[in-house]
Parts: sequence; C-alpha cells; structure tokens
Amino acid sequence: MSQSLRPYLLAVRSSLTAALAISNFASQTSERHNVPEIEAATSPELLLNPLTISRNENERVLIEPSVNSVRVSIRIKQADEIEHILVHKFTRFLTQRAESFFILRRKPVKGYDISFLITNFHTEQMLKHKLVDFIIQLYVSSALPIYRLINERLTTSSSDSMEEVDKEISEMKLFLNARARFVAESFLTPFD
Amino acid sequence: MAQLNYRTINIDVLDPESSINFPMETLLPPTLPAPTTSGAAASIVNQVRQLLRSGDNEGALRYVLETAPLGGDDRAKEVHLAAVVEVLQGIRQGEMSRVLESVCTGEGGSERADCLMKYLYKGMAAPAPSSAAQSPRMSPQSTGFSQIQARNLGEGGGGQQMSVLLNWHEKLVEVAGTGSIVRVMTDRRTV
Repeated sequence: MSQSLRPYLLAVRSSLTAALAISNFASQTSERHNVPEIEAATSPELLLNPLTISRNENERVLIEPSVNSVRVSIRIKQADEIEHILVHKFTRFLTQRAESFFILRRKPVKGYDISFLITNFHTEQMLKHKLVDFIIQLYVSSALPIYRLINERLTTSSSDSMEEVDKEISEMKLFLNARARFVAESFLTPFD
Repeated sequence: MAQLNYRTINIDVLDPESSINFPMETLLPPTLPAPTTSGAAASIVNQVRQLLRSGDNEGALRYVLETAPLGGDDRAKEVHLAAVVEVLQGIRQGEMSRVLESVCTGEGGSERADCLMKYLYKGMAAPAPSSAAQSPRMSPQSTGFSQIQARNLGEGGGGQQMSVLLNWHEKLVEVAGTGSIVRVMTDRRTV
C-alpha cells in the first residue's frame, strides 16, 4: 500500500508545481475588479483543463487551474464510518479557521473533503515550493505512521500538510476505540 | 411561466457579446484532424492488440499515441483510452524507462510525451463519474451523519490501475519535465 503512496505524492507535487504558474489578471466582466477566475467562471477561455490525480477511488486530488487562480481539492481516504466522522471533524476544524491558513477554501468542492484556493497574490507573497509542501504535508499528516516515514525520506523539510491529516486521523481512531472500550467495560461491570 | 424567478436567471448567458459566450472552438488549431468515429477507433485498437501480441510493446505505445483521436467524439476517445491503458499495463516496470526514452525521443517525440501525459491524467480521472453515481456522498447537514445510507468504503476499486498510471507519471515527468503537465492543462485538443 505504501508502495503507491510515493508516486502519488510525487504526481501531486509535480502537478501542483505546474499548475501554480499563475499571473495577475483583472476581471473581464466588471471594471476595476480582480477576482479568482476559477471561482467566477465568467470567461471559459481563462479556465484550463482540470487535472485529477488518484491513488484509488477514495483518494484523489483535483486541480482546477485558471489564468490567475488554482483550486486544489483533496479527497481523504475514509475506510469506515469512524474515519468518515473523524475526517469531517478534522476538516471542519480547519475550514472554520480558514483565514489563518490564507489559501484554505471555506467550503470544499462537491465530492471532496477539503479545498484550497491559491491566487496569484498568494504566489506573489509566499514561496511557491513552500505552498506545495504545505498541501502535501497536510494530507500525509492524516495517514498511517508509515506514510510519514516515507515522506520524511521523500522530502527532507521537517514541516511537511497532506501527510499530517492521514496520520492524525489514524491516531484519533485508535484513541476513539480505546475510549469506547473503557466506557463499555465500566458500563458493563455491574452486570458482571 | 408566471412562477419563473427572474432574479435567478443569468442574463450574461443571453448576451452574445458577453465573455461567458466566448467561442471556444476558435482556440482549436485549424489543422485539427477530422473527428474519429468509434468504429475507426475500434480498428486502431485491434491493430494495437496485434502489436501487443507480437511482443512489440514499444511499437504499440508509439502507435497508440500517434493515432490519438484529438478531434474524435466521446465514444471514440473512451475506446482509445482503454487501449492506451491496456498498453501501459502490458509493459513491465523494469522496461518503463527504456520504452519511454525511445518513445519520447526522435521526430514527434515531445508530442508523444504530451499525449501520453494527457492519457495518464484522463485515466486517473476516468472512474470519477461512475463512483459518484454509485455512491452519492452525503452533504454535511447540520443534523450530523446519516448511518442508514450505504457508503462506498474501503480501499476503493481501481487501485491497481491507478498505481500503474502513477508509476508511468513519475517516469514521464523525469523524461519530459513539468512543461509537459503545463501543456496538458493549456492544450484544448483533449484526448
């Protein structure tokens, strides 16, 4: 399973690097406005072909590029109902604090769990390769611990975001199961 | 007609001068080949299978990339995509680098590389509509989670095919570079 993670993250990384070639572009429809064209969708010629990178049906990244903005949507792996709840809680926690993350979108694109909206102003103010690192690291943090080991070998930078989400969710799942067992034991003790 | 809510109508669509009505066909080059029908695509697939059977993997990949239906209808494109994936799955991992090197060099090599990159992304995007139709994801309502609705859980299907495509993607980026991905995004001649 970890075999396919490395090419997956590499594909996400190279696709993001390619998609983040964006420049300032004022709105064609309203004067003195400058809006992310991928969200406004008022000029079809400014939207580029979307790219999908998928590891399997439940783990995929959608990159929708346009002339001055890129929308990146991630679908996080959810193997069962508990993971579904944990992913939902986790992404809700993040999206409620979206303005602290600058590039986080308040609402994910339909069919995905978390979305980012990167505009040309973000790439002007921040380093492009660090933006790519941030998204990858957030994803892997929710993965199994082995994912993190692979990632540490993959990227030497200590702060890595796609990865963190996966790891934290598997840890939360363990805690949740341990707590459920403890509650069940103490509840059933009088009937023993 | 009286119930129509006029505020919800996007009036820009009705204006021929509006930017939303940009003529997209003007972005396609005039040299685009004539649309391929699914019948023609099927005959190409047969030739590709013959090449595969004779053990000429490299020739099959080269041929299938050169005959990509850039102007074809959706059915022809689907048939061709299946053929490309079949060829890619038929080539062993150890041979990938060697095959790619020879296919992506020479005359028209960069076009073949871009075409292969287009197919890799299309192949990864392919199962999206079917899975979305089978398991409609619940929207996060304020009521929480519905336990009744069956969800498509587990590792998901198509993992084997995806990992093949991802391996090819890694190798192809090494050979053709990031520029190839940019050309996939900007090229309106979709495969």
